[in-house]
Amino acid sequence: MTAAADRSVRTAAARAVEARKTYGVGDAAVHALAGVTVDFPEHEFTAIMGPSGSGKSTLMQCVAGLDRLTSGAALIGETDISKLNKTQLTLLRRDRLGFIFQQYNLIPSLTARENILLPLTLAGTKADQSWFDEIVRTVGLQDRLGNLPSQLSGGQQQRVAVARALVPKPDIVFADEPTGALDSRTGIEILTFMRRAVDESGQTIVMVTHDPHAASYADRVLFLADGQIVDSMEAPTADKVLDRMKQFEG
Amino acid sequence: MLKLVLSSVRHNLGRYLATLIAIMTGVGFYTAVGVVSDGVISSLEGNVDAEYGNVDVAVVPDVTATADETAADPEALKVPQPTVDQLLTLPGVEGGAGILTGSVAFLGSDGKPFATSAVGRLWITDQDLNPLSLADGDAPASTGEIAVDRGTAGDHGLDVGDDLTLLTLAGKEKVTLVGITEFGDSAALDGDGTVSVTEADAFDWLNSGQAEYESYYLRGSEDPDDLVASAGEVLPDGFEVQTGDEFRADQRETTGSFAQGLKTALRAFAVLALLVGGFVIFNTFSVIVAQRLRELAVLAAIGATPRQLKRSLRLEGLVLGLVGSLLGVVAGYVLTLLLDGVLKVTGGSLPGGLGFGLSNVLGGIALGTIITVLSVMIPARRAARTEPIEAMRDAAVESAELGRTRGIVCVVLVALGVAAMLLTDELAVVGIGAVAIIAAVLIGAPYLAKGGARLFRPLLERFGMEGRLAVDNSVRSPKRTATTANALLIGVFLVTLVAVAGASVRDFAVGEVSDLQSADYVVVSQGGSLDDAFVSDLATIEDVNDVVAFRREPVTIDGTATVASAGDVSELAKVANIAVESGALADLASSGDGSGTIAVIDTGEGATPDIGGTVTVTDSRGKDVELRVVAVLEPTQDTAQTGSIIDTTTFESLVGDVAPTLAFVDVASGAQGKTKDDIQNLAAVRPDITAQEGNAVGKLIGTVFDFLIKAVTGLLLMSVVIAIIGIINTMSLSILERRRELGLLRIIGMTDNRVRRMVTLESVLISLLGTLGGLVLGLVVSLLLLVSINRDSQAAVTPSIPWIELVVILVLGVLIGVLAALLPARRSTKLEVLDAISAT
Ligand SMILES: Nc1ncnc2c1ncn2[C@@H]1O[C@H](COP(=O)(O)OP(=O)(O)OP(=O)(O)O)[C@@H](O)[C@H]1O
Ligand SMILES: [Mg+2]
Repeated sequence: MTAAADRSVRTAAARAVEARKTYGVGDAAVHALAGVTVDFPEHEFTAIMGPSGSGKSTLMQCVAGLDRLTSGAALIGETDISKLNKTQLTLLRRDRLGFIFQQYNLIPSLTARENILLPLTLAGTKADQSWFDEIVRTVGLQDRLGNLPSQLSGGQQQRVAVARALVPKPDIVFADEPTGALDSRTGIEILTFMRRAVDESGQTIVMVTHDPHAASYADRVLFLADGQIVDSMEAPTADKVLDRMKQFEG
Repeated sequence: MLKLVLSSVRHNLGRYLATLIAIMTGVGFYTAVGVVSDGVISSLEGNVDAEYGNVDVAVVPDVTATADETAADPEALKVPQPTVDQLLTLPGVEGGAGILTGSVAFLGSDGKPFATSAVGRLWITDQDLNPLSLADGDAPASTGEIAVDRGTAGDHGLDVGDDLTLLTLAGKEKVTLVGITEFGDSAALDGDGTVSVTEADAFDWLNSGQAEYESYYLRGSEDPDDLVASAGEVLPDGFEVQTGDEFRADQRETTGSFAQGLKTALRAFAVLALLVGGFVIFNTFSVIVAQRLRELAVLAAIGATPRQLKRSLRLEGLVLGLVGSLLGVVAGYVLTLLLDGVLKVTGGSLPGGLGFGLSNVLGGIALGTIITVLSVMIPARRAARTEPIEAMRDAAVESAELGRTRGIVCVVLVALGVAAMLLTDELAVVGIGAVAIIAAVLIGAPYLAKGGARLFRPLLERFGMEGRLAVDNSVRSPKRTATTANALLIGVFLVTLVAVAGASVRDFAVGEVSDLQSADYVVVSQGGSLDDAFVSDLATIEDVNDVVAFRREPVTIDGTATVASAGDVSELAKVANIAVESGALADLASSGDGSGTIAVIDTGEGATPDIGGTVTVTDSRGKDVELRVVAVLEPTQDTAQTGSIIDTTTFESLVGDVAPTLAFVDVASGAQGKTKDDIQNLAAVRPDITAQEGNAVGKLIGTVFDFLIKAVTGLLLMSVVIAIIGIINTMSLSILERRRELGLLRIIGMTDNRVRRMVTLESVLISLLGTLGGLVLGLVVSLLLLVSINRDSQAAVTPSIPWIELVVILVLGVLIGVLAALLPARRSTKLEVLDAISAT
């Protein structure tokens, strides 16, 4: 049974259907997304790649409910997010989604522990203590939980952000260039950890990246160019991804 | 450099808006106050010239002698006709004018009185000395002829030739209107109308038939100084002669000094408002420097010297100060125009019109600019210290650390201030002590911000994560929080100081006065008399136990102008508080051998005559008698009304058998409402009679203090308004700064409502800190002040703390916080989340 066949029987954690996003009008119109249809299956790690300006961030943001499509639909599970109002969207994000960004991740006045628990605090729920401990141990933050972000290194801060995205057990985690600002060793630690979350806990992750090595941690890579999906690759390796990238540019 | 500065101001205009508003409000207030009070001053001074322009010599009662003598403004001495006749025959005198006024009113054909506050005036026949001129008709020349001012004639539809009924001190008089008068450009000399009557009628109607004048003016060809000297020789005691210039200067002072004082006081509040604005400006620039650190660092990296950086910031301050002040001056004038317009609609007008004096314009601009530039000094120093390396760092955060020196300075200042207020007697040192304590609080405010935030944390954490974050944000840059709160702190401090110290002094003063017993009512006739019919009417009112009428006349005793009375002493002592210090009142009437007796008041000044000694009493016509002192009276409210008491026989030989002019009224205890109304109604029928409740002085003092406290508090609210602008500004800037953080919070699930609540909570926290700080500081300083006042004056002012008002202030503080957050809170969630986190 191929991975593709396997995917078809899995339910999609998130989907985009004929998704279009246009900035500006008339001659000045930019089609950031020019009709994208894609499934992000449960328990799978998907990487999105493509040249700068190809629409990777736009796709992710629209699916994650941070931005609205010009036309088409974006679904989280069975929920059509274009039908939700602002507050409903916020609550959906809080309860069902996790986010990791390249930068500006943490609230400076809260300790590492408080930052990790922030989404749960906002929802007014308690963390599952053993799950919290496990995640903290895996990202190696046991000793630093009481520290403020300003007392942590960039890599440590990003680990706090990853832990924060995972602790509430969201349906799906969206990461936009999570390793972009990190050195390669720390980057690898973060990616390894994300991989383990998928393998061991069945987490669903969608990650935008420029780095072929980072993409090789994913189950599947989608290639975007000019707002359209132009290719996809199962079981990617860094070399295969790099080759494919070169084809686009060539 | 200037180009860089200008483009920076333009680019940051949004951020500077609050600064501009703060400067504008302060300068506008300052200018408006200047324009209005200039108008008032010049109109009052201008009237003096129009009214007394041709006076060369003025004969007036010696006001300084009478004013201090008694609290209850007794009738002043009047210039008797024989003296005037002598004055007019002096060499070089070419003309004279006597002033005599009294209250009059008209009785309408429907039986209702109108123009009830009009002033009856003797018509001056000397053209040069008469301040009034005829607009229509003729001057009143024979008895029963009157002239009224243009305003009254217009208001009540009076025309030349009308037959009217005039209510005077002497009763109802049938009169004919023969002329309409005006005073310069204005309709009337007296605010509520002028009724001019002939000299003979004036004596009869306004002065109980006595040929006397309140003051007398002379016009002459001689050197005024010579005239003054020769006039002085013919005058009895108790009068003063002044040259026209002296007299006009005096008049200007009495009329103008009130306005001058008012102007100074209002200006002080305007400057205060501007100073509070200074905090807002300081804060804005501090935040702007922090936000622009990267830009400044790039400038430093490419070779801008610290001096240049400092100068560019100061220049920005200068530009803003100038622009804000200019706008403020314009706003000030617009404000006065509006005020004038509103007054015009309601039928009034600003006195003196609108003067667009250069001094107001220049003063406002200079003051606003200087305060702005001064407020920018410290942020400019910070800008100059920018290191190029800061261009590389992430968003610069103001350090939350507070230097050690700050703490030490605070503690030392507080210690010195408290010591100065508690230990010294020197008023100036006490004042400096108070200022030191205030300075300590302002300097130490960042500690208060930190401590206060810690204190409120448990409370705010009940609001959940947003409460917690609100506290954290305010502690993140305690200096900024402190400066914002300080602006409010100053306002609340002053309001509290006025409320507590003012209320305490008021209660003390009222208490002191209330200690003095007095009759229940004092009924006085100004210029008329209390005839038997009136007294018996008064006595028949329900619950009135007793009415004791007596006679009072202005006299001089041993050269000091005062009043003296005569009446049934034993009856008087029953209803009024006539306390004898030494001697016995009973001895007053007993001397039958022709030598008179007197009971004098111990005024506490000069030597009090001994019992058995003699004093010389001179009446207003200059007649002298020597009287034996049989008693010395304590100064009380009631003896202030009676003055010295002379035995009846002597009194009658001195002034004739005149009717009583005063009466003390005793009512059953507990008589309220209706009795009071009946007495007042009875008094209202006669224009000359007023009925005052006993202890009116105490009540008056209370009312005056209450009014002052309210007025001053109102003015101080101006600074609170500017403080609100400051909070809005700080919150808006800090939201701009925390844009990404807020965006992130919203992405990971904080709803917009909660974000807005967070902003509101932070704002409320800041305003609570300011309000509480101001309240506590105000309480402490006013209590310390009272302690030093008590020690200094050996008085015992007990602090009266107006708890209700303090609670109201506290509640208002919270409301201010909520109000100030409205705009910033909306702004905090206006951006789309994606724009909020996108890096720029
Ligand atoms: N707010 C906007 N207004 C106008 N055009 C926009 C806006 N945001 C994105 N675009 C355009 O949409 C297109 C896709 O942008 P997007 O940010 O998704 O690219 P990306 O693939 O994430 O690029 P990168 O790898 O550089 O992050 C680009 O051409 C961009 O210029
Ligand atoms: Mg992108």
